Amino acid sequence: MAAAAASAPQQLSDEELFSQLRRYGLSPGPVTESTRPVYLKKLKKLREEEQQQHRSGGRGNKTRNSNNNNTAAATVVAAGPAAAAAAGMGVRPVAGDLSYLRTPGGLCRISASGSENLLGGPGGASAAPTAGSKVLLGFSSDESDVEASPRDQAGGGGRKDRASLQYRGLKAPPAPLAASEVTNSNSAERRKPHSWWGARRPAGPDLQTPPGKDGAVEDEEGEGEDGEERDPEAEEPLWASRTVNGSRLVPYSCRENYSDSEEEDDDDVASSRQVLKDDSVSRHRPRRTHSKPLSPLTAKSAGGRLETSVQGGGGHAMNDRAAAAGSLDRSRNLEEAAEQGGGCDQVDSSPVPRYRVNAKKLTPLLPPPLTDMDSTLDSSTGSLLKTNNHIGGGAFNVDSPRIYSNSLPPSAAVAAASSLRINHANHTGSNHTYLKNTYNKPKLSEPEEELLQQFKREEVSPTGSFSAHYLSMFLLTAACLFFLILGLTYLGMRGTGVSEDGELSIENPFGETFGKIQESEKILMMNTLYKLHDRLAQLAGDHECGSSSQRTLSVQEAAAYLKDLGPEYEGIFNTSLQWILENGKDVGIRCVGFGPEEELTNITDVQFLQSTRPLMSFWCRFRRAFVTVTHRLLLLCLGVVMVCVVLRYMKYRWTKEEEETRQMYDMVVKIIDVLRSHNEACQENKDLQPYMPIPHVRDSLIQPHDRKKMKKVWDRAVDFLAANESRVRTETRRIGGADFLVWRWIQPSASCDKILVIPSKVWQGQAFHLDRRNSPPNSLTPCLKIRNMFDPVMEIGDQWHLAIQEAILEKCSDNDGIVHIAVDKNSREGCVYVKCLSPEYAGKAFKALHGSWFDGKLVTVKYLRLDRYHHRFPQALTSNTPLKPSNKHMNSMSHLRLRTGLTNSQGSS
Amino acid sequence: MTTSQKHRDFVAEPMGEKPVGSLAGIGEVLGKKLEERGFDKAYVVLGQFLVLKKDEGLFREWLKDTCGANAKQSRDCFGCLQEWCDAFL
Repeated sequence: MAAAAASAPQQLSDEELFSQLRRYGLSPGPVTESTRPVYLKKLKKLREEEQQQHRSGGRGNKTRNSNNNNTAAATVVAAGPAAAAAAGMGVRPVAGDLSYLRTPGGLCRISASGSENLLGGPGGASAAPTAGSKVLLGFSSDESDVEASPRDQAGGGGRKDRASLQYRGLKAPPAPLAASEVTNSNSAERRKPHSWWGARRPAGPDLQTPPGKDGAVEDEEGEGEDGEERDPEAEEPLWASRTVNGSRLVPYSCRENYSDSEEEDDDDVASSRQVLKDDSVSRHRPRRTHSKPLSPLTAKSAGGRLETSVQGGGGHAMNDRAAAAGSLDRSRNLEEAAEQGGGCDQVDSSPVPRYRVNAKKLTPLLPPPLTDMDSTLDSSTGSLLKTNNHIGGGAFNVDSPRIYSNSLPPSAAVAAASSLRINHANHTGSNHTYLKNTYNKPKLSEPEEELLQQFKREEVSPTGSFSAHYLSMFLLTAACLFFLILGLTYLGMRGTGVSEDGELSIENPFGETFGKIQESEKILMMNTLYKLHDRLAQLAGDHECGSSSQRTLSVQEAAAYLKDLGPEYEGIFNTSLQWILENGKDVGIRCVGFGPEEELTNITDVQFLQSTRPLMSFWCRFRRAFVTVTHRLLLLCLGVVMVCVVLRYMKYRWTKEEEETRQMYDMVVKIIDVLRSHNEACQENKDLQPYMPIPHVRDSLIQPHDRKKMKKVWDRAVDFLAANESRVRTETRRIGGADFLVWRWIQPSASCDKILVIPSKVWQGQAFHLDRRNSPPNSLTPCLKIRNMFDPVMEIGDQWHLAIQEAILEKCSDNDGIVHIAVDKNSREGCVYVKCLSPEYAGKAFKALHGSWFDGKLVTVKYLRLDRYHHRFPQALTSNTPLKPSNKHMNSMSHLRLRTGLTNSQGSS
Repeated sequence: MTTSQKHRDFVAEPMGEKPVGSLAGIGEVLGKKLEERGFDKAYVVLGQFLVLKKDEGLFREWLKDTCGANAKQSRDCFGCLQEWCDAFL
């Protein structure tokens, strides 16, 4: 068993293993748990090699390989069933052996023989068939099409191998490719493909449907083989000689090849690719098959292939593909067809549409800029996505490019369609997904943009909607309240106008005062009074409502009125008046004399009658009520407004106070620093006076143009120091003939005060040398995104972002092309966005910043797309004045200065 | 030979705390397998790479044994780490 084979040396201890390896001239690294198996295998290989050499006396590589093959095959065969079960180390070491053999020198066609069955052609991977392997080739052709074999055995075999290889991971191109190449390129294959590959890729014209192929391949392979040993290089020569069909397919396949491992990554990407449904479906499968380690089914698949090869005839699809191919090619086609099996039809039917779909998306991705731009893409796909998620599902987590990089640019089609999906998948919580999509869609069509950058967008501020909501509620409540008050007031008014009240009130006192009056007289009097009351009320109402100017009725008129009504009223008139006078309560009629305040004792004094309860029309009442209510409401509002104003004012004052206090404390801290440092300087340099005049300190800390503004702050600081700081003493000294108030630092020794000050917000050097490999070769855009400048949770205060900006400006102080800086205070990654005048300036800034240590964190920089930048920071559109550090202190460069003695240390590029 | 986007992304900057899936050649499945074995971050794999003295054969062999990487995947991973070391170590 393979296990057994590998287990033989297991009794070796680590040291023994080590020494044995040494004996072979190897210089092994530490033999640890994880390296042990590797070294064991190596030892075994070395031993066998030795034996081979002894035995065959230098047959060399080939021999070794073939021997190994044989042993491998043997072991593999033996381990077949085991492998079937284990799918793991058991078989793998053997296969590993092969691959390992292959790697160092092994361009030989290990593939061979029986091993192929289980290893599914991993052996066949090797590109360059050696002479000795021709035998193996013949053998390997077993796997392939029965029909194919009669053709060029070697070639066919080789092709088969390649084909099988290709199927595995590499979306094998159609048969046509190969054959000629096979025979031609041998040892050079390995080299050639690379260069060819390189040449091919950029040249990539339209991409044809390898997906079609893929689908076919996959269907066939099913769970088959482990493509582990597939050597993509094998395909390259094939592709080089590709004909029409092939050439188109190749580039795509190439990309696929390179990205297949990445594709595994983005299963979700692939799965979400609904546009390329077929592709995703087909792609899934190779991935699955890929990842499966030497699955037990290799044997099965090999068998399957044989079977299906028989069905090869059914491959009209194959015919299509093989169109350009010769007879030789057909063998390959048949193989493919065999592989395809059931997938034939599917493949056949959809190649064209797929092609169209793919070509559109894939084509644009090929242009050379790809290589340039890619490097600028944010590589931390995972982290980005995480970041995106973190940023509250950032509405605009746009970045199709970001997603794009995640999803592997090579699989271009993916990016186009799937970036959208990724957005969906990754930002489920985002409210603005739809916005993203609509925004992204037009962008996606431009592949360069996808390649370029990623950008975060913040959520649209929700405060607007918030206040609108509250406003509507408020209005509603106000309206309801208003109407309520109106109604109540109306009712109140109405009550006064009703005459029933008058009736009631008149009734009551009657009994007491006029007991002697007879019943009939009473009634008459009542009626009289009613009539009078009505008349007066009406008059009063008219007067109140403004229609008449007269409010009172003179006695004579009243008498005349009553006489009009009826003769009986006249007589009773005086009695009524008497009664009204004597009756102290308000009956609705008031007797008024000439003057307003006259005391009326006798009816003869009464001159006018007035109603105390005016009768007003409904409309008048309503109007009055309305007016009253409005007035009241107005007063209320006024009151509320007053209160608000007062509150605002208080708040303003309060913040202002806070601000001033903070400034004061800042100032105090600065003063203390100055004094302390002066003290230290004094300790070293005995010539200096140990005290500092207060004005001198002030002038050194505050700029001249600020002095007037800061006067208050300064005074407060001085007072604070005098009152609260024990280490500073205020004295008066005579300096140069003038009296000064001075401060003296009186802390005796500096040791107790020397807390190790951890540098904060300073540049600390360059981590790595910037060269072509870890930075883009040229500046792409004028906008940069600098990451890892800060940690938002650790920052305190309100102004730290200014410090960050300052630091950046100071680091790039020789670069006067920075026109806009924005610190994203909420970003978890500590992002700062910078815009420069031109890409050259941006490149300069990039060189200065990328890879530097700042505040203990490693800063990375990448380029951003200009339009996205503008979209996010519209104010940057108009900014074109270079920014400079606000002061010349270069605080953030202090450590660098100390260390290197340079005022501005930048990484060399 | 031309490199993939993943490769370029990885080599462009210090790997920091990047997950093992960010290595070129290591996809989701392989990444999971490596994580199961304890290689949950790229720097752990880097460690292994360095312990094996940056030897291509050994490292690729090891990778195959550990997570079942095929030839291409292991080659990509090796190349990626090698370049990273050249740039940053």
